[in-house]
Amino acid sequence: MIEPLLERARGKVDNADALWRREEQTAVAFESGRLKAAGISEEAGLNLRVLAGGRMGVAGTTAAAPDVEALVARARASAELGELVDLAFPDGAASRLPSIPTFFDRTANASLDDLIRMGKLLVERLSRPDCQVNVSVEREVADTAVGNTAGARGAYRATGIAVTADVTRIAGDDVLMVYDQYVGADMPSDADLETLVRSVETRLTAALKVVTPPDGALPVVFTPAGLAAVILPLEQALSGKTVLQGSSPLAGKVGETVFDERLSIIDDPLTPGRPASRPVDDECVPSRATGLVERGKVGRFVYDLETAARAKTQSTGNGRRGVFGKPHIGYTNVLFRMASDGARGAAQHAAPLPGLGGGLIDSIDDGLIVDDLIGVGQGNVISGAFSHPVGLAYRVQRGEVTGRVKDAAVAGNAYDLLKRIGGFGSDGRWLGSRWSPSMLLEGVSVARR
Amino acid sequence: MKDRLAAAVKQSRAGYTEIRVERTWSSAVAFRGRRLETATVSEDQGGFVRVLNQGCGWGIASFTSLDDLPEMVARANELSRAVRLDEPIRLAESAPQTADAVLDLDGDVRGVSLSEKKTLLDGYNAAMLAVSNLIVDTQASYRDEVSEVWYVNSEGTSLYQLRPEVVVSGTAIGRRNGSIEKGLESIGLRKGWNSVQGFENQFRIVARRAVELLDAPRVRGGAYPVILDNELAGVFIHEAFGHLSEADFVYENPQAREMMTLGRRFGKPALNVGDNGAAQGLRGTLPYDDEGTPTQDTALIREGILVGRLHSRETAAKLGERPTGNARAISFRHPPIVRMTNTYIAPGKAGVGFQDLIRDIKLGVYACGAFGGQTMLENFSFTAGWGYMIRDGRVAELVKDVVLAGNLFQTLDRIDHIAGDFTWNQMGGGCGKGGQFPLPVTEGAPHVRIEEALIGGDV
Repeated sequence: MIEPLLERARGKVDNADALWRREEQTAVAFESGRLKAAGISEEAGLNLRVLAGGRMGVAGTTAAAPDVEALVARARASAELGELVDLAFPDGAASRLPSIPTFFDRTANASLDDLIRMGKLLVERLSRPDCQVNVSVEREVADTAVGNTAGARGAYRATGIAVTADVTRIAGDDVLMVYDQYVGADMPSDADLETLVRSVETRLTAALKVVTPPDGALPVVFTPAGLAAVILPLEQALSGKTVLQGSSPLAGKVGETVFDERLSIIDDPLTPGRPASRPVDDECVPSRATGLVERGKVGRFVYDLETAARAKTQSTGNGRRGVFGKPHIGYTNVLFRMASDGARGAAQHAAPLPGLGGGLIDSIDDGLIVDDLIGVGQGNVISGAFSHPVGLAYRVQRGEVTGRVKDAAVAGNAYDLLKRIGGFGSDGRWLGSRWSPSMLLEGVSVARR
Repeated sequence: MKDRLAAAVKQSRAGYTEIRVERTWSSAVAFRGRRLETATVSEDQGGFVRVLNQGCGWGIASFTSLDDLPEMVARANELSRAVRLDEPIRLAESAPQTADAVLDLDGDVRGVSLSEKKTLLDGYNAAMLAVSNLIVDTQASYRDEVSEVWYVNSEGTSLYQLRPEVVVSGTAIGRRNGSIEKGLESIGLRKGWNSVQGFENQFRIVARRAVELLDAPRVRGGAYPVILDNELAGVFIHEAFGHLSEADFVYENPQAREMMTLGRRFGKPALNVGDNGAAQGLRGTLPYDDEGTPTQDTALIREGILVGRLHSRETAAKLGERPTGNARAISFRHPPIVRMTNTYIAPGKAGVGFQDLIRDIKLGVYACGAFGGQTMLENFSFTAGWGYMIRDGRVAELVKDVVLAGNLFQTLDRIDHIAGDFTWNQMGGGCGKGGQFPLPVTEGAPHVRIEEALIGGDV
């Protein structure tokens, strides 16, 4: 699909690049312990970007037999309104792509019955008389092809599977929801599913008793899931776009120590077995890892072609595009590592759970473990400030988990809290495309009614 | 198209078959700072088939290639037959509907050039940037669409709907050294080009607020009497109660059914709540839902008592109630699930205003505007855009980072005063559930007072 489109664009525009993607999904859904639905979805789309008269324009279509002539015309019309941009597409020489397995036969070949069996197993393992269990299994096979008029090409097939379990327990007026998910490019092993079950059970069991929340400035262990509110400001601030716009608190601080010196964060599209891994980004830039934070110092910001051109730097291979709209910056796999931790996060999904808090609660006299916050992403995120009611949190007293707390709110500023990290847990794991352990942060504001 | 779908439905071997085909024309313009990001026109189209067989579950197929329609019906049928169920899925009666429902386009966006749309947005963006040198960044976006939806099912329903939508939004980022604040304006309606003109002043106001917030202290954490402005009160009722009223949460769960028994008291007699998909021209408005059921005004809480809930045909059958026209899908890529439309707190006594609510509050918070909200059913958050302290019955200093923590059983019951100054929200944005985001919805409310609510922050 790419070749005829680029061929048609040649001569009509200065330069062009394009992405074609076809996705097939198969999904089964168990509701309240019963298999309720099975579905498939098939979708293909084509996205074209052109430079015409130095200006950029884009167009996309999901039509089954795309009218390439019309697509080029729409992209040119879009470019007439576009900004001047000095964009250089990578040439064919850059197309020697790194080798990274993205396609797993076992995932692609799993039958509907295989997916149903896996879901059933989880439902059976998680069933309790007082709980409702919902499970979904979603498998995806995607073909991607990218190319440009400078001669670069890339194509790969990828598989992905997501197994999600959520358990709801309603006792009188108390609603408790516990959720976890396996996400991978390869099928989960029995051990992976067992880890998922134990993760849900551990958090559910510790939550059965409700205790009064503490208040004040307290030590709080943020689990890998609970960390989302603290990490989101960093992900925004480390984007080359935010830096260009002048709204990143980290702009101009490359090489400065801003965080705890044990903290490193990398973006790594070459992590084996992850659905976000790929040999090439959506703009024909070969994949490589980027050190975002290195031992507490601000490392590199992530760029796509356009923002890199404007910032007079190189793309980090973080270009992402959908069928509609222009390419934008997207992270791939984001890994949080302690400086002393040499091991890559890969294949650690099945690591045994050391229990709630990742071994970080022994020293806590009174504090919280936060596993889920409500409304993450809805405040003034870029400033680093966060304030959220707890969705799932536990009180820790004298080094022990004493029960679940409700009707409490935690607040703080990510930049202040990450200056000094009280400890990194031994429970590092993947959560979607992020790998991190729990972190103990000191002086988090906890308010209660 | 209707005939083509009817033919495919007729050929289906399944007990129940429905087909939805959508063709969406849309255009989008975006600025970031002074730079134009994009100006594009897109066309998206595809189909959705859902079938049900006796003793089996749902079989579903979604696809972008309409050439495959008969094959997709056959595959959905196979998928349904692979799902064996002891307790059958039943669908509540919904009278067959035949109609062409064309909503008022209010200035057909397809007839307006992309460069005119760029000029409109440029004006709003420039209004934000001109407010102060401290406005370092803006995000402004214009998006419109006209969606044609064909729906045919095996019970005789055959519908064509034309649904317009237009959203203009702007975020202004103010910065002084390390301190960064934002202001957010958004206008979203199920209308067209005419309805998004003349908003320069609103965009100026949010940029001014972003600058003012740079000097505002963070609100101190704790429990306060709180007055919600109309916009935040709307978001509040959506999160606090709207999601709980969606019957797919209770219909398979005996404990949830007990918790949400009709007749249970949730608020004081002043509280009346409903959801109205049939209201005119609002963001959540639609004549028929995505199962072909006509929308309606559904009472959820009357004088503090739970009286109704929102249904699809499946949840209504299970609970022995009637479908309410709330089965919605964000696109052909998804099945319809139970969703809100335009959810509201009905106004209190005419003439009761903000002054009547604030007068006897010694120390409290006036929470205004909405950055968003999220619920975990019993507990929920709603994030104000900004707030003011209330001191001795008067609005006092501006405060920032005002995030309220709500509890279904405590917060609703603590609403003690409802003003008469009802307005519908005209925000863009949308609601997310079950992987379907953003679904166009809106809310409406008057000023509302909560006797005591928890606000996060330093204590």
